[in-house]
Amino acid sequence: MATDIVIPSDLWDEDEECVITSWLVDDGGSVEQGALIAEIMTAKVQYEITAPATGTVSIKEEADAVVAKGAVIGSIA
Amino acid sequence: MICASFDTADDGNAREEALFAAGAPAVLLWQAAAHSIVVPRSRARRVGFDALCARAAAAGWPIQLRTSGGGAVPQGPGTLNIAMITPMPRGAQIHAGFDMICGTIAEALSRFEIRTQTGAVNAAFCDGDWNVTADGRKLAGTAQRWRPNGAAGSIALIHAAIVVDDPPETVWPVLGDVERHAGGIIAPRRDVHVALRDLLPNTMRPTSVHGALIRAAEDRLHTIGDLRFEEAAAA
Repeated sequence: MATDIVIPSDLWDEDEECVITSWLVDDGGSVEQGALIAEIMTAKVQYEITAPATGTVSIKEEADAVVAKGAVIGSIA
Repeated sequence: MICASFDTADDGNAREEALFAAGAPAVLLWQAAAHSIVVPRSRARRVGFDALCARAAAAGWPIQLRTSGGGAVPQGPGTLNIAMITPMPRGAQIHAGFDMICGTIAEALSRFEIRTQTGAVNAAFCDGDWNVTADGRKLAGTAQRWRPNGAAGSIALIHAAIVVDDPPETVWPVLGDVERHAGGIIAPRRDVHVALRDLLPNTMRPTSVHGALIRAAEDRLHTIGDLRFEEAAAA
């Protein structure tokens, strides 16, 4: 069963979107739970996305994509 | 009270990163001896970045990278950096970090009868809603980096770059070049910025504010425990 990689939904109140500034793991790459896998930026804040599970990463939204808070940007199976 | 002096902004940013990695509450005040322009690391992936770096270095403003968000910031002897590293309780939002750093600067400068506000300044470098301004001109810019800290919340690196002295005139065309490379259409202008030296009484050196900045920052770090309680109560 895959675990979604989700943009946090509680870091800011506004409807402001964020940008995926980088993926630090390749699509299909293996990660350990807790590893830094991506970075997003909103309102001059860079936020680290860590792996919610151990497994193989499937990237749904590429770097430079603009996404809403709570969006699923990938998964780990 | 420590104001660290580094050769380059790279060295100062590396020290901030080390403190961020450690994750314990800390305050760092620092300046770099050498001029540079510091941009977010994500800019390095843009087409033409190497050529931009070559042009900037040839103009005397080598480009260096940082891990927080925001835009291009000139660094050197005329820029005072303050970094606060703190655990953020679960439920804290990013504006809490901006409140913390802007409040720190405002409180410290109020001791010198300098009144500041926060807000965007059109045509300022590294513009954003959380600039520290004086009479509508930008005195300091702020940015943050956050990482999850398990169930406890997050760890935040919150920093500000305060213009102490006007940067040399040579920086402005380079800043314009950097912004164009990032897709910006407004070139940063000198007249929308103000330097701390111009706000202080003539007899007072900018180094006079170091102690007040550190004290105001440490006071805020000590209130994080209260913030955690309030957030928990509000949940």
